[in-house]
Amino acid sequence: MSVERSGLSGLTHAVGEGLEGHVSNRHLALFGAGFVGLFFILPILLLVPESLHLDSATPFESYRRAMDGIYVNTFVRSFLFGIITTIMTLVLAYLLSYYLAFATDRVRIAMTMIIVPLWIAYIVRYFGILLFLSPAGPFADLTGIEPGLLFTTPAVIIGLANVYLPFAVLPLYNSLNAIDEELIDASRVLGANKRWTIAKVIFPLSLPGLVAAGLIVFILAAGSFLGPAVLGGPQQTMIANVIAQAFLANFNIQFASALAIVYTVLLVGLLLVFNAVFSLQEVLKNI
Amino acid sequence: MLEIKGFTKYYGDLCAVEDLSFRIEEGEFVTLLGPSGCGKSTTLHSIAGLVEPTEGQILLRGKDVTDLPPEKRNIGMAFQSTALFPHMTARENIAYGLKMHGYSTADIADRVEDSLELVDMLNHGDHRPSELSGGQQQRVSLARALAYEPDILLLDEPLTGLDRVLREEMRGWLHRVQREVGVTTLYVTHDQEDALSMSDKVVVLNDGRAQQIDSPEAIYETPTSPFVAEFVGKSTQFAGEVTHEDGRAVVHNDSKAITLPNDATHGAGEIVSVYVRPEDTDVSTEPTGATNEFLGTVVDIANLGNRAEMSIELVDGTTALAHTARFPDIDIEQEVFIRFEAGQVIVL
Repeated sequence: MSVERSGLSGLTHAVGEGLEGHVSNRHLALFGAGFVGLFFILPILLLVPESLHLDSATPFESYRRAMDGIYVNTFVRSFLFGIITTIMTLVLAYLLSYYLAFATDRVRIAMTMIIVPLWIAYIVRYFGILLFLSPAGPFADLTGIEPGLLFTTPAVIIGLANVYLPFAVLPLYNSLNAIDEELIDASRVLGANKRWTIAKVIFPLSLPGLVAAGLIVFILAAGSFLGPAVLGGPQQTMIANVIAQAFLANFNIQFASALAIVYTVLLVGLLLVFNAVFSLQEVLKNI
Repeated sequence: MLEIKGFTKYYGDLCAVEDLSFRIEEGEFVTLLGPSGCGKSTTLHSIAGLVEPTEGQILLRGKDVTDLPPEKRNIGMAFQSTALFPHMTARENIAYGLKMHGYSTADIADRVEDSLELVDMLNHGDHRPSELSGGQQQRVSLARALAYEPDILLLDEPLTGLDRVLREEMRGWLHRVQREVGVTTLYVTHDQEDALSMSDKVVVLNDGRAQQIDSPEAIYETPTSPFVAEFVGKSTQFAGEVTHEDGRAVVHNDSKAITLPNDATHGAGEIVSVYVRPEDTDVSTEPTGATNEFLGTVVDIANLGNRAEMSIELVDGTTALAHTARFPDIDIEQEVFIRFEAGQVIVL
C-alpha cells in the first residue's frame, strides 16, 4: 500500500514503482552507451567510407591532399595554438584557483562569476573580445593605443584562454581545495617557509588537477572553431575552420571527412602518449 | 623552557582563550586537558606559530617567539590527522624536516634511519602513508617531529583516531619514547586517561580559561573547582548547606546528612558541592551504622571487566555510582546501603 503523494513527487514515485524490478542498472547503462554509440561513435565511423574514393583508381586521394603543406601547417598550428592556450590558461587558472582555495572565504560568489560566462554563447563572448580589441573599441579609447592585436595569433590565444579558463579552474580548484590544511601547517612547522611549502607540498599535490585541466583545455582549444573564425585572420586558420570550409563552403564531403579522420587519429594518438605518461584513469578522477 | 604569559585569542568577538599562563620545565610532559572547544588546540597552534595570539607572549628557551613564523621556531608537532605528506614515503616525510633545518645529505640519511628505528618502523620506510595503518602513521608522524631535535614537541590529540586497544598500547609507547628522547612535550587531549597516565603536569582548560594546573594526582584527588571534579574521573555529586554538628562539618542534602572530612574549613551556611568517587564507596545489603551511609535501590550494574560499576538510586532520587567486585552478589532492583568515609569526600 503506497502512501498518497501529490504533484511531481507523486509522479516520480509512481514512475519509480512502475520501473522497479523491470529496469536493472545494466539497462540504465545501456541507455547512455547506446546514445553515445548511435550519435557519436557511429557517425565518426561513417566518416571513414565517406573519406575514400572507393570507385576511383586513387581511393586515398583526399588523404594525399590532406598531406599538402598548407594542411599540414594547419594541423601543426592547431596543436601549437592548443599548447600555447593550455599553458597560458593553466597559469591563469592556477593563480585564480590558489586564491580561491587558500586566500578567500568568498568562494561561492567567485565561483559563480567564473561559471556564469559559460552560460553565455561562445559567439557572444568572442564578439565581445572582437569589439574590445578593435581599433575603434574601448581598449583604444581607454589607452589611446590602437591595438594591432585583432586578427593576429595573440588575439586568438587571448580569446581561447578566456573562454576555456573556467574548464581549467574547476579541476584545479578541486585538487587544491582537497589539500588538507594541516599538511600546510605541518610543512611550516617542519621548517619550510611559504615558498618551499608551495613548491614541495601544494604544487605536487595539485598535479593531478593540473594535468586534468591541461588535458581538457588542450582538447577544447586545439579543436576550436569560433575563436580563430572571429578573432583570427587567414594566418590563424585552425583545423576546425578548414574542415568547416571544406564541408559547408566547398561541399567537399570526402575531403572534409578525410581531414576529420586525420585530426581524430592524431588526437587519439596524442591521448595514448599522454596516457602512457600520466595514466588517464588517475587524471579522470580529478575532473 | 616554554612560558605562556597572558595568552588571549579572539576569533572576531568570540573568545577562544582568555588570559592563559603556564610554564613547562625542561624535559617535562605537560598535558592541556579539556572538552572540545575549550581552547586547548588554539593554544597549541599558537605555540607552533600557526595561530596569531590576540594578546600575550610565548617564550621558548627564554626567547620571545610570539611574532616568529612557524618555520623559525624549531618546534616538532604531531597532528591528529598525522598530516603526513601523502606524496612522500615515510623516509621522505622524515627527511623533509631535516632538509628544511639545514642538515647535510649524509646527516639526513643517518637521522632518518635513527628516527625510523626509534619508532620501530625501519621495515616501512619506503611505504607511502596510504600503505600504513593508523598507528603506523602516527609513529612516522612522531619520528618526523623528533628527527631534527626540536626544542619542544607538540602533540595535538595524536591518539584520538585510534581504537581503544591500540590507543592504550600507543599511549604506553609514546610515553616511553618521550622519556627515552627526553624531549619537552606539550600534549593536547580531551581524554583524561591520556592526561592522567602520561603527564608530569596537567593544565585543565574550560571555556578558554585555566581551571587548574597541577600534577595528575592532585587534579584527580584534590580538584579545586567543580568543573575539574566533574570533568576528570567519575563521581557522585551532592550539593547542600554546611552546618556544624558536634564539632564536625555536615552538609544537608535533602534527607541526607553528609559528614565532611575533619580538615574541612567550610563555614556554616555555606552552599557547597560534595563529590564522591565511585572507588571510594562501599556497598552492602545490610546497614553497618557507619557515618555517610545511605539507602538506595540498584538501577544498573555495568561490568567493566576488572570490576563492576553500580548505579544506585538513593531515596531522594540522586543516582550514586559505586565500584564493587567483578560479579557482585547483588541484583538490579535490590535495596542496598552505600557508604563512604568522611575523609574521602571532595568538598568544593
